[in-house]
Amino acid sequence: MNVAGYRFVYAAALLAAAAASSLARLQAQPQGKNVYDAHCVECHGESGRGDGPSAAYVTPRPRDFTSGKYKIRSTETGSVPTGDDLMQSVRQGLYGTTMPGWARILSDDDIRDVVEYIKGLSPQFASPPRAVTVGAGVPSSPDSITRGLQVYDRLQCGKCHGSDGRGTGAVATAFEDDWKQPLRAPDLTEPWTFHGGATSRDVFLRFRTGMAGTPMPSFADAASENEMWDLANYIVSLARKPIWTMNADEIKDFYARQEADAKANPVKRGAYLVETLGCVMCHSPVDELKRVLPGMRLAGGLPMRIDPFGAYPTGNLTSDRATGLGDWSDDEIKRAITKGTLPNGTRLLPFPMDYASYSTMKPEDLNAIVAYLRTVPPVSNKVPAPRSTFLPLYLWGKFKFLILGVDPPIVLFSGNAGAKGGL
Amino acid sequence: MKKFLKWALFVIVVVATCGFLAFLYFIPPFFLTPPETFGKAMADAAPTVADIADPAERAIAERGRYIVMTTGCNGCHAVVGPRGPDLSKYLGGGGLKIQTPHATYVSRNLTPDKETGLARRTDDEVKRIMRSGTFIDGHVVAGTAMPWPVFSNWTEEDRHAVVVYLRHLKPLRHATPEPVPGNAITIPGAVEQDYGGKDYGSSK
Repeated sequence: MNVAGYRFVYAAALLAAAAASSLARLQAQPQGKNVYDAHCVECHGESGRGDGPSAAYVTPRPRDFTSGKYKIRSTETGSVPTGDDLMQSVRQGLYGTTMPGWARILSDDDIRDVVEYIKGLSPQFASPPRAVTVGAGVPSSPDSITRGLQVYDRLQCGKCHGSDGRGTGAVATAFEDDWKQPLRAPDLTEPWTFHGGATSRDVFLRFRTGMAGTPMPSFADAASENEMWDLANYIVSLARKPIWTMNADEIKDFYARQEADAKANPVKRGAYLVETLGCVMCHSPVDELKRVLPGMRLAGGLPMRIDPFGAYPTGNLTSDRATGLGDWSDDEIKRAITKGTLPNGTRLLPFPMDYASYSTMKPEDLNAIVAYLRTVPPVSNKVPAPRSTFLPLYLWGKFKFLILGVDPPIVLFSGNAGAKGGL
Repeated sequence: MKKFLKWALFVIVVVATCGFLAFLYFIPPFFLTPPETFGKAMADAAPTVADIADPAERAIAERGRYIVMTTGCNGCHAVVGPRGPDLSKYLGGGGLKIQTPHATYVSRNLTPDKETGLARRTDDEVKRIMRSGTFIDGHVVAGTAMPWPVFSNWTEEDRHAVVVYLRHLKPLRHATPEPVPGNAITIPGAVEQDYGGKDYGSSK
C-alpha cells in the first residue's frame, strides 16, 4: 500500500481542460486569450474573476481582473494601472505571493498580449490611467531614516505593522480585502515579500498610490512627497538578513526566536501549520470547479471514495460541538492526527489522512494545531457515516489490497456530502 | 468410507472459504500494525542531515527535513516497489500517477540526480514550482494534483530550507514520465480521477 500516498490526490486538470479546448479555438481568439488560457486560469479562473481551482488555498487571493482594482500601480488612487505597471507585474511576478515572474517563460509580445486581454476584462480601463509623478526622491541617509521613523509614528503605521515593522504591538491583526478574503499585513523587515519590489522607489509608490482593494491607503494627503521618501528610506532600512545569507550562529538565533514566537502565540503557529500541511484541501467541501464553498472552510464533508473500503467523507474540523471537534478533548484530537484513531476506537487508513507523517511532528507543533482548531468558528455540517461498497467488490478489493498488495485508488468528488443530507 | 472422506473434504473447503471471506470482511486494514509503526517508518525513511559539513547548511537542512517529513512529500514522491513504497529510495518519484481525461501526471524524482532529478533545475525554478506550480516551460501543474497552493503558504525561508534539504539527498537515478497534456497515453496503474461528482458512493 502507499502509506502516505493519496492525501493530496484530487480531481483536477481544469487547466489542462482549458488548454485542450483552447487548441480548438486557437484560430478564433486573440493571442492574449491563448496565453491567458494556457498559463493564468489555474489561479485567476476562466472568467478572470480570481476564482480558479487553486485560488481558495492561497493568501493573498489571486486578482479579480473584472474589478479593475490593482495594488501595484504607479497611478493615482482610484485610477487603473498603466500598461507598463501590469507588464512589470507579469514580468517580475509579485514577491510574497503565488504570482511567478514570467519574464523567462513568456516572450515580451506574449506578455503584452495577455496584459491587453486582462485590461479588456474590466470596464474600468475605459478611462485612461492617471500616472503619478515620481520626483528625483530623497537619497537614503541616517537623517532621512530618522525623519522616516517620525513619519512612521505620526501616520500610525504601527497600528497594523507593529512598532518594529514585525507586528509587535499592532492593534489590528486580522485583515480582509474588498472581496472579504483574508490578508496578511506584511512583515516590513522582510523585503523579499514586498509584492511590488523593495527599492525605495517601489516602497514610495505604495505610500503614494495606496494598495487598492486592501486596507493600505494612499498617504498622498497626509504626508508630503519628501516625507514619503523618508518613510520609504526608513522601511528599506528595516530589512533584516534573510536566512540564505546568515551564518550558523545567526540561523540558530533565528530559529530559536521563531520557536519562542510560536510558544508565545501557538494559535498563529497552528494556523500556519494547518495552512501548509494541507488540511484545508481535503477538509473543506468544494464546488464543481474545486472552489471551497463559501463559509465552509474546514467544515468537512468532501466525499472520497477509497476502493475497496467504501465512501468516506472528510471530518468537520471546526469547533462546532455537535458536528465538529468542539466536544473532543485535546488528546483525542492529537490521537486522531498522529495515530489515525478516532475517540470511538475506529482506525483510519493511513491515507489519505497521513497520520504517519503527522506523527513525526514535535509535541509543541501538535499543541499549536489543536490550539488553532479550537479557534476555528463553529460550522454546523453533519458529515454522514462512511458507506461501504457492494459486498462482493468489497471482498475482492480487500483481497487485492491485503493479500496481493495492490494500491486502492482514491477518487474525490466535488460537492458537500454533509449539506446534501447524506450520500 | 470413501464417500465420507469426500463429504468431509467438501465441508472443510466450504468452511475454509466462508472463514476466509468472513476474515476478509471483518479484518480492519493494518489491524496487526500499531499506528506508531507507520510514524516511525516515516521518520526513519527521511535521511538525516548529520553528515552535512557546513553548520549553516546543516541547520537549514534540518528545518527542511522536518518540513518534508511532516508534510509527507514521500507519500506521493515515493518509489513504489512490488510491495508498496520502497522507503529506502526516499523521494525517488514515480509512486503516484494521476490520470484524468485531460492530462496525466506522475510524481517526479526529487533527489538531486543530474539526469532524472532536481539537479536539472535551479533553486529558483524549484521554489517557483512549490510556490506557483509553474515550470520553466510555462506549464502550470494543477494545484489539486501537486498541492502547491498549500505549499505557497510556506514562508520564503521555509521554502528555502526545503530546497536545501532536497539538494542534500542522495542522488537516485530514476526517470519518471513527463506530464502528458491531452492525455495521449495510458499509464498502467494510474489513479483515475473523476470530477463529475455524479456517481459518488456507487461501487464503480
